[in-house]
Amino acid sequence: MTDKRADTQPVTQISDQDLLETRARLPQHVVHRSFVAETVVLNLRTGKYHGLNPTAGKMLEALEAAPTVGDAVPVLASEYGIDDAQVRNDLLMLTRGLLERGLIVTADGDSD
Amino acid sequence: MATAIDGRSSTVRGESRYAAFGLELLVDSRISIPGVGQNSSCASPRPSHVRLDDGEIDRRWAAITATPQRARELRFDQTLLLSVDFAEPAGYLLWTRDFGRVLISADGMELLCQPDPTNEDWASIVTAQALPLAATIRGMEVLHASGVVLGDKAVLIAGPPGAGKSSLAAALIRHGGQLLSDDAVALRLSHGALLAYPGSTLLQLRAAEDERLAQSDRAALGRPAHFADGKQRYLSTGPHEPVELGALLLLERSAQEPAIEGLPAVDPFELLATTFNLSVRTPARLERQLDVMSAIASAGLVYRLRVQPGIDATTLASIIQAQFAVPTP
Repeated sequence: MTDKRADTQPVTQISDQDLLETRARLPQHVVHRSFVAETVVLNLRTGKYHGLNPTAGKMLEALEAAPTVGDAVPVLASEYGIDDAQVRNDLLMLTRGLLERGLIVTADGDSD
Repeated sequence: MATAIDGRSSTVRGESRYAAFGLELLVDSRISIPGVGQNSSCASPRPSHVRLDDGEIDRRWAAITATPQRARELRFDQTLLLSVDFAEPAGYLLWTRDFGRVLISADGMELLCQPDPTNEDWASIVTAQALPLAATIRGMEVLHASGVVLGDKAVLIAGPPGAGKSSLAAALIRHGGQLLSDDAVALRLSHGALLAYPGSTLLQLRAAEDERLAQSDRAALGRPAHFADGKQRYLSTGPHEPVELGALLLLERSAQEPAIEGLPAVDPFELLATTFNLSVRTPARLERQLDVMSAIASAGLVYRLRVQPGIDATTLASIIQAQFAVPTP
């Protein structure tokens, strides 16, 4: 499901539930490469680099692969052996951060 | 100037053929580029032309369609020493305080040189700045490093200015290595392999370093090359082919004993900072740079070399040779 409210509303005004039901993906002008200690996310339009720690890097990969943000939660919870609620909170926080920086977009939000 | 090209060139219609930084070059025969030789393997079969300017730089710069973007500048105190401006369709205009100007076309296929007539060594800027810039435009990733071939692998030495890259390269050459390039090394990721290309084999040493060398040490470095600025340089003999990358050494000043250690979890931003080129910021180049650094890290080729202030470069060379099991001559 695609929630267009996520494209038009400021990230802070999107409810957690709406965000969990949204599909997130990288726009074409954003690439990332995984290193052992860090994942580097590069916005090719701005030339700006961003660093994610290994856990956040895994979350980004899970976000890319999952149909919705919420679908990534059990995948990550299983991988890290922690409960869904904790993963959900961390994933929502990361997703909002990535959206604010334009490093991910919701499914209909790519401006390429 | 007394230092000429190293003689391994062929002349075609007033142009001499060379190769450096992965580029095949057709150079106006009136231009003598120090430290650039010929090798048979280039990343691109289409040559870049290096020509003397006949007023074309000003004509092209007058025809630009947008305000030039300052891509890079280098200052000492308040004095501007070097700048790079980019504007379509002219390309990258490299200006230097003491050497003149070079306009590098946006596709890297043409370099127009306007020498400073008062500086007989003006062509040094072609090797030191213009060719690495053109190589980056044309798909190479150029690191701010000195490269030496040990055994059959290229070992690159990266570090801040004054860290001792060239001194260490010289010590490795005296121990049997071959200079791949001083100060800037072009890399290319080819079918999963990282190849380091010959660049400038003109090795410059600090005066104090040079004075410490015995005559036999100097002879091992190559033919002395005399420049008007009085600095001692050696025209070394390098390989003619690209060499597989064996290691990237990051020099770090340290009070601890000198040592080398692998960095499996290297900080990627430290790797990205080894770039020679801050001027070309196209999406393709930025992604390529990230790919090359990722490949270097994932292949486990990054090492930290701790260097005590004042340590003899020969000691460091021995540590490197032991690490990479290179037999000493």
